[in-house]
Amino acid sequence: MLKDGKGAVPPPTRRRFLGAAAGAAAAAASTPLLSGCGGSAKADGKRLTFWNFYGPQKNPDPAVNAQAKWFTDLVAEWNATHEVKVDLVFVPTGDYTNGFKVPSAFATGSGPDIFLLSPGDFLRYSNGGVLQDLTPHLDDGVVEDYGDVLNSRMVDGKVYALPMEVEPLAMLYDVGAWEKAGLSEADIPTTWDQLLDTGDKLSTRTRAGFVVETNPGYLQNFMWYPWLWQGGGDVVDAGGTVVFDSKAARQALQLWGDAVRHGIMPRTLPAAGDVVSAFKTGNVGMWQMGIWQVSSFKAYAPKFKYGIFRLPVPPGGKYTTALGGWSFAANAKGGNPEQAAEFCGWALGRTDERCVDRMVQWCTGVKSDIAPRTSAVERGAEKGGYDFWAMKKFKDDIAPEGRAEPRFPPVVYKAVSDAVQGVMFADKGVDGAVTRAAESIEAFMKSYQGASLI
Amino acid sequence: MTSVAAPGRARETDTAAPARPGRNRMSRKHREWLAAGLFILPDGLGLLLFVGIPMLLSIVLGFFQVSGFGSYEWVGFGNYERMFQDPMFWESMKITGIYVVVLVPVLFCVSLALGLLMKQRLPGTGFFRTALFLPYMISLAVVGLLWKFMLDDQVGVVNKSLHALGMDGESWLGEPALALGTVIAIMVWVMMGYYMIIFLAGLQEIPSEYYEAARIDGAGPWTQFRSITWPLLKPTSFFVLIMSTVAAMTGGLDLIFTMTQGGPANGTSLAIYYIYTQAFGFGEYGYASAMGSFLVLVMVLFSAVIFKVTGSGRFDDDR
Repeated sequence: MLKDGKGAVPPPTRRRFLGAAAGAAAAAASTPLLSGCGGSAKADGKRLTFWNFYGPQKNPDPAVNAQAKWFTDLVAEWNATHEVKVDLVFVPTGDYTNGFKVPSAFATGSGPDIFLLSPGDFLRYSNGGVLQDLTPHLDDGVVEDYGDVLNSRMVDGKVYALPMEVEPLAMLYDVGAWEKAGLSEADIPTTWDQLLDTGDKLSTRTRAGFVVETNPGYLQNFMWYPWLWQGGGDVVDAGGTVVFDSKAARQALQLWGDAVRHGIMPRTLPAAGDVVSAFKTGNVGMWQMGIWQVSSFKAYAPKFKYGIFRLPVPPGGKYTTALGGWSFAANAKGGNPEQAAEFCGWALGRTDERCVDRMVQWCTGVKSDIAPRTSAVERGAEKGGYDFWAMKKFKDDIAPEGRAEPRFPPVVYKAVSDAVQGVMFADKGVDGAVTRAAESIEAFMKSYQGASLI
Repeated sequence: MTSVAAPGRARETDTAAPARPGRNRMSRKHREWLAAGLFILPDGLGLLLFVGIPMLLSIVLGFFQVSGFGSYEWVGFGNYERMFQDPMFWESMKITGIYVVVLVPVLFCVSLALGLLMKQRLPGTGFFRTALFLPYMISLAVVGLLWKFMLDDQVGVVNKSLHALGMDGESWLGEPALALGTVIAIMVWVMMGYYMIIFLAGLQEIPSEYYEAARIDGAGPWTQFRSITWPLLKPTSFFVLIMSTVAAMTGGLDLIFTMTQGGPANGTSLAIYYIYTQAFGFGEYGYASAMGSFLVLVMVLFSAVIFKVTGSGRFDDDR
């Protein structure tokens, strides 16, 4: 009936089909191109994006949910009281720290307005001119309240990132394994020789005596620097002179190399790097780790008996450790850099109780960290945030003599990393490894133009 | 000969036929060309947008120093000069060379052997075909994590099995000399199912009458393989060779990323991984683009050599 009627749809012909298909293809191809030319809410500076690796997300792990909630609460509080709104954008940790999403976004000029920044990346972003000066957005006295923690986030006396946490490194050990090996608290090593000896006693076919990060990367360097510093060594001094070719660097490399060669230190991370699982299953005697593991033990192995001690020192050396931790930063090339910086200042750089409590909640409530501001450490202690023995140990014994994680640029990081990896795993001589690294860093420093490395 | 020529003549006749006035001025041949073009257009547009233009931009980017934060400075061949003086790049090219030279032949032989085995009508063949193809369907990142657990120095199933047999375990991913071999072995495990299917398709194209005739003539399995299977499988072999070479030179990033991060001591730092870290780890997009362009050039030259040596996989003697 309809076939012959006036409103009948003409039968499809090949030409019609091809025409329609070509039209559809052209429309499909042109849509993203056209939308790419269009404006966005971000362009008017009324909405800011905050890229992070905490939230919003829903996770089976209550600790992760608590961290996500801290972020969503923070943004909700800001949005309720400010005209310019902030949108949280969750990027999974692996993608955020090692993926191409964040660097690609900045390279194409579409980076987030607010983002989390690690010390290792600070100088690259700072030299790239994308860090907004946060100093005008901080209350009086906040810089002093932060103290030395802020040094690695400053350039020419101005603050370009605000730390949200401080994460010191120490040695964690399995009390059960310790006792089985006939060791007591009196055997806690204080020197490198004692460390190797204790590691040897703890080592079995299925248990690594002493574990450090084995994968090449910023984390491994971060873990190695304290061993270098303890012997009085450094990579670059305050004047910008390369001082890596030193006895301190040689002995620190030798320590890790010897530990691997003698089978005390494993060549790969036990349990694929899952610290709590490795301890629980008895595969680790000692592991150089950060304070963040305290909350992991609380969540996943609350009954597991572990101990913590300071990193041992070399003969004639002086104790220190590395203090890591992430910061809030604002994009100077974003849609509204002033408001992005204001958000960072409002979140972490006010002297009012609300701001200090927020930091306390982050460092002792939802995570296990040392608060970066003195006032927040004191408030946290008052509220019992450091009453737990492990937190107290980190606050009173491990962290105080620590030093902020360096902000070396990629070439310097890579030179040090190659030296560490070469001595640990490729049986490269310590002298050659140190000399090669020092030469590489010196060559880089000759043409380096940017903020101070220290 | 007649049967081949006849359709051609028919087409010529069609082409020569006058177009119907007022309806279509194009000849049938032109209409066919137009139709073919329109069918190819979507794919062609996609290739142009997502492969061609990015490739061109990448080559152009190789002549700039890029800060990673929006600033570009023309440096001419500066990045290429830097590349030729960068020992780490050449080390990564050397590792890539070893990786390709070992992976491709091993993968070829294993896949061919599996293809031959799976062609036999044995009980459970369907199950084994599926089982062997399954690793190819898993994401390389997941494969990397799974194997990382299985190769754990202390408690991995591989070393535990060796211990049970009274042998010492090895640090499969912690020894530079072993780590690359381990990655290659895992890559073979992942890819062999895919190429097995390709070989299987090629093997099933070979008429069974040839084998029957050979058997009647008294040819054994080896003679049958050498005189029938191998020559008639040349086009398939060529395809596998080219595809696996390209995959080996430009792939494996996910596996390296999840398993070794280029370590230990740069022992698994393939060129593609080195390029990735330079771009996205260090923000050296210009330098990474130059190295990427160079790697593509090497790959094209390598492929050209394979084309030349194998005669593009033709099994006739008319080269």
